[in-house]
Amino acid sequence: MLALVANRSVRPYLLLVIIAVALWIFDRGRGQFFTTATAFSVLQQFATIGPIALGLGLSMIIREFDLSVGGMLSLSGCIAVLTGAHYPALGVALAVLCGLVWGAFQGTMMVWLRLGSIGVTLGGLLTLGGLAYVVTGNLSISYPRMDVALAVNNPVLHVFSLRSLVALAAFLAAAFFMARTRAGRDVYATGSDRRAAMVAGVRTAAILPAVFACSGMLAALGGALLSYSLAAASGVALTDALVPATASAIIGGVSLTGGKGTPIGIVGGVLVLCLLSAGLNAIGTPPAVQDVVTGGVLLAVAIADAVDLDPRLFAMRRYWAEMFVRPAESVRSADTSAAE
Amino acid sequence: MTDQVLPTALRYPWRVPLPHSRRGRTLVAIRVAALLALIAIAAATPGFFTAVSLFSLLNTTSFIGCVAVGMTFITLSGNIMSFALSVTLSTSGIVFMAVLPWGLPIAFLVALAFGAGLTGIQGVAVGYFRANPVIVSMAALALITGGATLITQGQGVYPQGDAAAALKGRLLGIPMPLAAFILTVVLAQIVLSFTRFGRQLYMVGSNWRAALAAGLDPARIVLGAYIVAGLCTALAGILMAARYSSGDLELGLGYDYSAISAVLVGGTAISGGEGSAIRSLVGAFLIAVCQVLLLLHGFSTQIQYLAIGVIVLFVIMLQTLADAD
Amino acid sequence: MAKKSGVNVTAAYTAEAVPLVARDAAADRDEPGGNVASAVAVRHLSKSFGPIAALKDVSLDIGSGEIRGICGENGAGKSTLVKILTGVYRPDAGNVLIGGAAVSVATPRQAQELGIAIVAQELSLCPDLSVEDNIWLGSLHVPFLHKRPDLRRRAAEALALLGAGHIDLDTPVTNLSMGERQLVEIARLLTRDARVLILDEPTATLTDIEIERIFAALLAVKREGRSVVYITHRLAEVYAICDRVSVLRNGELVTTTSLKGLDRSALIELMLGRPSDEMYPEEARARGAPALVVEGMSLPGIVNDFSMKVHRGEILCIAGQVGSGAAEIVAALAGLVHDAGGRVTVNGRPLKLGSSVRAAQRGIMFVSGDRAAEGVFRRLSVLQNLVATRLRDHSLLGFLRGGALRKAAAHLAARVGIDRRRLNARAEELSGGNQQKLAFGRSIERQAGAILLMNEPTRGIDVGARAEIYRLMRGFCEDGYALVMASSDLEEIVGVGDVVITLYRGRRIGHYRRSEVSMHRIVADITHPRETTP
Repeated sequence: MLALVANRSVRPYLLLVIIAVALWIFDRGRGQFFTTATAFSVLQQFATIGPIALGLGLSMIIREFDLSVGGMLSLSGCIAVLTGAHYPALGVALAVLCGLVWGAFQGTMMVWLRLGSIGVTLGGLLTLGGLAYVVTGNLSISYPRMDVALAVNNPVLHVFSLRSLVALAAFLAAAFFMARTRAGRDVYATGSDRRAAMVAGVRTAAILPAVFACSGMLAALGGALLSYSLAAASGVALTDALVPATASAIIGGVSLTGGKGTPIGIVGGVLVLCLLSAGLNAIGTPPAVQDVVTGGVLLAVAIADAVDLDPRLFAMRRYWAEMFVRPAESVRSADTSAAE
Repeated sequence: MTDQVLPTALRYPWRVPLPHSRRGRTLVAIRVAALLALIAIAAATPGFFTAVSLFSLLNTTSFIGCVAVGMTFITLSGNIMSFALSVTLSTSGIVFMAVLPWGLPIAFLVALAFGAGLTGIQGVAVGYFRANPVIVSMAALALITGGATLITQGQGVYPQGDAAAALKGRLLGIPMPLAAFILTVVLAQIVLSFTRFGRQLYMVGSNWRAALAAGLDPARIVLGAYIVAGLCTALAGILMAARYSSGDLELGLGYDYSAISAVLVGGTAISGGEGSAIRSLVGAFLIAVCQVLLLLHGFSTQIQYLAIGVIVLFVIMLQTLADAD
Repeated sequence: MAKKSGVNVTAAYTAEAVPLVARDAAADRDEPGGNVASAVAVRHLSKSFGPIAALKDVSLDIGSGEIRGICGENGAGKSTLVKILTGVYRPDAGNVLIGGAAVSVATPRQAQELGIAIVAQELSLCPDLSVEDNIWLGSLHVPFLHKRPDLRRRAAEALALLGAGHIDLDTPVTNLSMGERQLVEIARLLTRDARVLILDEPTATLTDIEIERIFAALLAVKREGRSVVYITHRLAEVYAICDRVSVLRNGELVTTTSLKGLDRSALIELMLGRPSDEMYPEEARARGAPALVVEGMSLPGIVNDFSMKVHRGEILCIAGQVGSGAAEIVAALAGLVHDAGGRVTVNGRPLKLGSSVRAAQRGIMFVSGDRAAEGVFRRLSVLQNLVATRLRDHSLLGFLRGGALRKAAAHLAARVGIDRRRLNARAEELSGGNQQKLAFGRSIERQAGAILLMNEPTRGIDVGARAEIYRLMRGFCEDGYALVMASSDLEEIVGVGDVVITLYRGRRIGHYRRSEVSMHRIVADITHPRETTP
């Protein structure tokens, strides 16, 4: 049981259960919350955040950070809407291709020029955002195919939709890839200790562009399907996805220090955030509460993963011991407890 | 003699001391060429020097410039950037407007303290615990946005009367926001170049562990950088709120990206330890020049967004040339 | 066939007197065309880092089925040689031959394809991956769907061979002790099916029984006709397992020789060359009461119950290999180890460890050998680097007094021997030796009774600059400083230390005054401790 709690990928699901129970208690008897409609809307939101969270999570697993996913989300939506009027699949394909090329470009630049990912993807974010404005002419453009918009959103098996099924499929593929294949293992190795992986013979110079290409592709896929479902796209609206996507990856057990986390865990993280949002909506709290919760979780995790957390806590404990416990003995006890 | 003691960054804020390595020199050459090209384009653009004076150009960059100066401190300290300066700006403006009935000086100080407090908390997390600065700033963005929306119910704050009129006027014939911006740059540059804190900030940004080994207290210095960033941002928020006679959450929208763009285009290193407030002023100014030039050549606003994005990407990639040796 | 020729060579060498001059006949005899079937060879290899030549025209032949020891001091070029063989560095000149044909080894992966595998000094395990995944990480034999029962079985076999069968294949490496990690790393080496196995200081964290098992495994490898390159400080290990030994000194190959008829002191002499007496300053006399007293210092997991006393005007040297805890003791005294415990007294007043700010306030200065990571501020000017610690002395209400700072910097530059015209140059433009002088310059004339801590202060610095730095150190003594230095460089320890404390696996082994100290005793102490301590 303890091992289950300690498993980073299981933790989000425990959290999910706790939230569900809390909501059930709150809803008791009225049956307003636990309906297929709620499940459907949770999964719809999952389809929006999920792919970005997965891409971002993969970049965090190799100890990098892909800021450009926000820009890619807008741009891919615009591309899909503009090119997909006749053949919707073509629009998605072009958007995904664009994500792949851009992600690979960013990753290659990091390897060649030995640049940090934050700098490069910050430039990428601004460039992609600008491109999205350019291709849409700074307007909100509408997608003429209402049939497609309906098809992506129509319930399948009551709770799913084409969009959420695609997102789930992407997660399943990623989960298989990361857990079962050599390349997945190499991705974890790269994130865990890049130098060690390189010396052991892993082609880290290829892993970096590949992961960023995946991240770009996933963001593009999510953006294209989202724009289809909204039957519209614009350069602005979608850049706010970065914070919830980061939060869900982190709740899902991805570590800021790299090498940890699984796609299945990220699914849990996204679901936690979506269920929380749906639940808070249902009990009538304003949407801003969700911002506060998301921010609080992010801050807590950032501090829990902080480099100097242990030394500061150690100093505080020692200080505490010296001030309030018997002074002479306390230093000793602090030392021996650390030695264990 | 005085000329000799001035730090290089102040004597030639736009100058990169000529490096000895070939790659470093290439970098300088590229920068000079880009600058010359910009001037040439400006000179060849009919109406640039008449329609748009330097002065009015600077005026348009006042608010972003203030935030950029604040961001410069964060970047210099080695913590890349903050995503939460825009909401700090907005909320400081709201606080200013809300406290304004108690008098302008009190409102001014309270708003500054509020801004400094918001970023100061992030400074503690980043400096003392060494938490990931980008994630901390994203958390702050969500927390501040959510908290402010809850408290204000999403409504703007509008002042009764016209207590903030003094901030809408001119100082020595210069519009107040521009005067404040120039004052901020001068003060910030004095802090960076002539004070112990400024010098230590460069050391911490250049090499955290070396600063620690030399007996400095890097955590306190990083906290200081965040507080300065908050002060600059709050100042921009106060001036904006005064200018629009309202404080709401939309005030600073998108300013994080504009500010970091100005910082990077000015030539401050994204990895910290190198740069200056004046460089950020130059960066903000250059971006404004580019926008005006594009406008005069008949390009739409959307092309301007793209152009800035590409310039920033390019500038970041160029920085590696200086670092690689 | 391979084994036979190996024996022939050994026989040929036992008949000869051991040559002591550089580039002797032994290396020449290894040239191609001889009767040695060499598995891997290098020819005229050179490599420089900036102005420092790490390797100069080195040629070696390693026969099939041979275990070759490579010895040399710190900075002799051993690691550079290994990194060229494994594709981490590329040589400036010369080439690598495999089976007689020149090959290019550009990446670690290429090295593996050519049949070269390594256990490097720094472990290359990924802490979040399981033991099994780490053993097969980067291997060319792993299929795309990598979880295979046969691979798992072979990993378990390799561990069992090393007597580490108790290690769970599924546990993440981060849960293992340092010794266990070392065994996993060696297990990876054994599964690689490499023709040439390189081990660079593999035993620093292992117990004698574990070392015995590794030797047994290496002998099995040798019987299969594969070759082993064994790099170590511990001469006992060289004698225990190697067929021949190659000695490097200052980047040059001194000799390659059989171990028969070569006693230990002769081998040490080969490693060190003639001692350069003029390089080291005179002995200093300790003055007055001890400036720094350490009692019962403990660093969790690294050092246990360490004590010492340092007087003003003397240099105390803590001698120990990498991983012995010497460097960590110095870092802890500088306040850089947060969980350090023990009683430390500075000039009669107690000092609480764990804060570098507190340590600096009490006059403790720290100069690290890792200049890039914790020494200089590379992007700042020489001036700013020199005055980094004394901004407070030259400022008024938080504002710096530029003229005073510049004057101070010029004075410091003159004292440490840096051209004052370079005060405005960026620190990264200086050579390694000059960068190190900046770090020393920071610490000069701070306060009475100050203490200077140093960690491998001359790492990566060429001989000329070293002598200057040693002179600087003696200057500190004359100023009344107490100096503490952690070092693994034998020549430096013997040449500089007024008092030498030897350390082995976090335990204090010996304590010598300058008159008592000898290289042999130190080598013996830090590599193979006696049971009783003097």
